[in-house]
Amino acid sequence: MFPPLRLDPTALTGEIAAFQRKLAAGLGNLQHQLEPQYANTPREVVYREDKLTVWHMKGQGKPTTKTPTLIVYALVNTVWMTDLQEDRSLVRNLLEQGEDVYLIDWGYPDGADRWLTLDDYINGYLDRCVDAVCKASGVDAINLLGICQGGTFSLCYTATHGDKVKNLITMVTPVDFQTPDNMLSNWSRELDVDRFVDTMGNIPAELLNWVYLTLKPVRLNQQKYVGLVDILDNPKELQNFLRMERWIFDSPDQAGEAFREFIKDFYQQNKLIKGEIVIGGKPVDLGMIMQPVLNIYAEQDHLVPPDASRVLGKLVGTTDYTPLAFKGGHIGIYVSGRAQREVPPAIHQWLSTRN
Amino acid sequence: MVDQASDVLKDYQALAQQSWDAWTRYLQQQAAAPYAQPGAAHAGTGEDLWARSMAALKGYNEWMQGAVGSGLGQGPADWQQAMQNLFSSMGGQPFAHAFASIDSEAARSFMQLWQSWLQSGQSGVAGMKFDVEHFAAFGYTRERQLQQQALAAAMQEYLEWAGKYQALIQRANGEGMERLQATLANWTDSTRQVDSLKALYDLWVDGAEDAYAKLALSEEFRHVYGEMVNAQSRLRQLQQEQLEAMCRELGMPTRSEVSALGKRLHELRREVRDGNRSSQADEVAGLRAEVAALKRQLATKAEEQSAPTKKTAARSSKREVEDDTVVRRAKPTTAVAARKSVVRGSTRTRK
Repeated sequence: MFPPLRLDPTALTGEIAAFQRKLAAGLGNLQHQLEPQYANTPREVVYREDKLTVWHMKGQGKPTTKTPTLIVYALVNTVWMTDLQEDRSLVRNLLEQGEDVYLIDWGYPDGADRWLTLDDYINGYLDRCVDAVCKASGVDAINLLGICQGGTFSLCYTATHGDKVKNLITMVTPVDFQTPDNMLSNWSRELDVDRFVDTMGNIPAELLNWVYLTLKPVRLNQQKYVGLVDILDNPKELQNFLRMERWIFDSPDQAGEAFREFIKDFYQQNKLIKGEIVIGGKPVDLGMIMQPVLNIYAEQDHLVPPDASRVLGKLVGTTDYTPLAFKGGHIGIYVSGRAQREVPPAIHQWLSTRN
Repeated sequence: MVDQASDVLKDYQALAQQSWDAWTRYLQQQAAAPYAQPGAAHAGTGEDLWARSMAALKGYNEWMQGAVGSGLGQGPADWQQAMQNLFSSMGGQPFAHAFASIDSEAARSFMQLWQSWLQSGQSGVAGMKFDVEHFAAFGYTRERQLQQQALAAAMQEYLEWAGKYQALIQRANGEGMERLQATLANWTDSTRQVDSLKALYDLWVDGAEDAYAKLALSEEFRHVYGEMVNAQSRLRQLQQEQLEAMCRELGMPTRSEVSALGKRLHELRREVRDGNRSSQADEVAGLRAEVAALKRQLATKAEEQSAPTKKTAARSSKREVEDDTVVRRAKPTTAVAARKSVVRGSTRTRK
């Protein structure tokens, strides 16, 4: 029988000293860091409205596919997670596969956007973005690639504007908002969201960031930065770390009214799986989705548990439904090395047999 | 009796004055605060931000120092006691920073605001001891007294729920420690031994996160979390009502007024869009009907030219009347221009 701790007092003192030396030496490196840049894949504006922009992403060669794919990101955080850095970019990898990629940058809502509703976002903005992409590419219907909340929006849109969607891809998309392992759902259930929005107006990004940090408070608020000390002397790793920090914390406020509707209808009443969502007078019936659907979820997702996504297969009307499990988390599905190797080729392969 | 009542009233007036002063001080501080730089909308001072960013590392450093101070590593047999010493030396909250001090700027400014209000209430007037929440309101300032009482009650309620939330966090810390000890107790072979502080720390984090996750998914946590946020919202609402009253007195536009304007503007935008959408849909329907009618006309003419019998002509003429009716019914104004263009198109096609 051995004791579980084999700690030598001298070694412990040495470990503390080494940590402090490393920290002291590395802090200097933090002082000379430039603002980390995203991948900034070449792109051009296709459409602008209010604060949103639709970008046409440009690859090295011309797309080999006729049907363009529009990436619909969530309203929380920014779409640049999909084009984070040169060697970790979903967008670049899709372009290299020959896909024609567009994306929506929702922008940063302010007080003027306080009363934007889900109808404005889905039947308004998103519909006009789709029209713009159709017009730019000369097609009647496009592929939608919805991510997280953007995937939920894409589901609602496809169910109600099916003629404009050829194929639907959802990534880490919540469908069942009340699985037992959904922490965000648990916390929102007894929230008086009316009073919350009435008093907050738009929901500050920093408040939401705080909520996300408290999903794993010790890991995300301390352990991560302890790990940072180990890479302070590695400029490339440090830049990668800081780039991710930029993405995490450079996030938009949420338009109050849309937030209210999303929390009430989706999180608190779980109406999407019940077929009770009505957006702008249009009932959203997932059974109306007859397009091919590729549903990619992350097995270690702490924000959108796998079961919250998996249920989609039982609800869509199409017979061409493909689930794809990714071994990783909610963010890793875009930026991990495994993701670069597995996800874009899988999407391209799936699309190539349906475009 | 009269003197006592008079004293209470004086106390109450003093409290109200202190409350007002606290508001004024807060507003002055806000007004004097430097404008935030773009991209750092919630920035504090540089020093403050740096301290906040470094708090995680400081917390870890303190944890390591505490681990050594607790006797860890000084004897293999008493590791459980040493762990307990470490836990106790950190007030039972080894990850206090991570759990408790990750307040958002929104929440922070909220607490700063209420701290100043609370201080005015707590420090109060010397010797003042009465239940402000339940003190009967009357007289010219009756409404304001009621507002103050509602604020005090809401603040009390918020503090109670915040306390319950903190108790849950404390429980997660304790259960995390228990999980760590249970894990270590199962490590009885030489292949699984903790040989560094970092390894112990990582294991402890695992235990703390697991304990927290279990608690955070519970109905108890859901209730306390929801009530804490709701209590904060109620407090914020009352605060906003008071601020709006002040703004109105100063002739300034209020948040409600600006918000109402925004709401009306968005409703107007939707009406305009819906109108356009509906008008475009009508136009398209009209054009479709017109194209169909013209196609039928052309077909009829073609038939007439190929077989001009009296019977066919009569039938065709009747159809033309029907088609024309359809066209007029569909969209009289836009149809005219559209018809011209369609006819021109078909003429060219025929050529």
